[in-house]
Amino acid sequence: MKNLIILLFFSIFIGCAPSITKQEFAPQMYVEHPKSILVLPPLNKSTAADAKDYYLTTVAEPLTNSGYYVYPIEIVTDILKQEGLSDTETMMNVPPQKFREFFGTDAVMYVSILKWNTVYLITSGSVKVQIECELKSTRTGITLWYYNEEVEVSTTGDNANQGGLAGLLIQAATTAIKTAATDYVPVARDVNKKIFLAIPFGKYNKNFNKDMLTKIELKKKTEKK
Amino acid sequence: MKIISSVIVAIIVLQFIGCAPETQFYWGNYSKTLYAYKKSPDDKTLAVHKNSLNDIITVSTKKHATVPPGVYAELGYILLKENKEKESFECFDKEIKLYPESIEFIGKLKAEFHSGETK
Repeated sequence: MKNLIILLFFSIFIGCAPSITKQEFAPQMYVEHPKSILVLPPLNKSTAADAKDYYLTTVAEPLTNSGYYVYPIEIVTDILKQEGLSDTETMMNVPPQKFREFFGTDAVMYVSILKWNTVYLITSGSVKVQIECELKSTRTGITLWYYNEEVEVSTTGDNANQGGLAGLLIQAATTAIKTAATDYVPVARDVNKKIFLAIPFGKYNKNFNKDMLTKIELKKKTEKK
Repeated sequence: MKIISSVIVAIIVLQFIGCAPETQFYWGNYSKTLYAYKKSPDDKTLAVHKNSLNDIITVSTKKHATVPPGVYAELGYILLKENKEKESFECFDKEIKLYPESIEFIGKLKAEFHSGETK
């Protein structure tokens, strides 16, 4: 019995692997408290041509659930195009203050997709993604939040619980379908979800301003090179 | 024994508090339909995406949850392109009411429409 308690107790730490608090990770977020975020179309440096659209269509959901007003990406892209800003590389060099003048946003997210690799093993698959996100204040121009970590999401078939060789074969088949043909939208959403676990909660989340001491799963404090 | 089991329960509960993600907005099929539209933009994929925006509004209202940021704005923008000014502006006003920080952005969308009219 005692052993069980000890085991359970340790599993808390294993489950979350905490090492740094959100406040230590992004102190400026708690100073400025941005309410709204404008996500710019990402610069795709990966070899996956579709990565940009996967990213853009799945970023709003987890980021709004973190408590931020997120400008609808489709409209933002359209407006930027009308202003002659369709090239992502050019966009990355526009100072954050300009986006405040234009959209009234508190912060701008500059995004580069560094890696989007599909790992395919017969019975298991995953997508390894590395995305560099830099959230800058449109008031002061300073970096409020910076994230650059590798995130891995499994694309393994759902039939893993069916034992035996037959189960393994079914699993291999579903993994192949899931990894090859599919539908990376849910995978991309999970990637974004994982990334935004490291962002402090915004105004529209009930834990707004209560998460300074929340530990996040990061090996080290990432800093912009 | 009783104490031990309550300690176990407490620890299990703690685990969920520590790690459980908070989902507050209902987003339905948004990502999927938007992705499909971006991959092959045509009337059909746009209609499907519009349906998914309407579904988010219906379900959120039913669940007494707030419609997520940007959904009314996006629907309004599609309606604007369909030249349904009245319906569109109603959506835009709802967006501002729910999310006051969108006022400048929505104002811009409205102004652009009117400047397009006079051209």
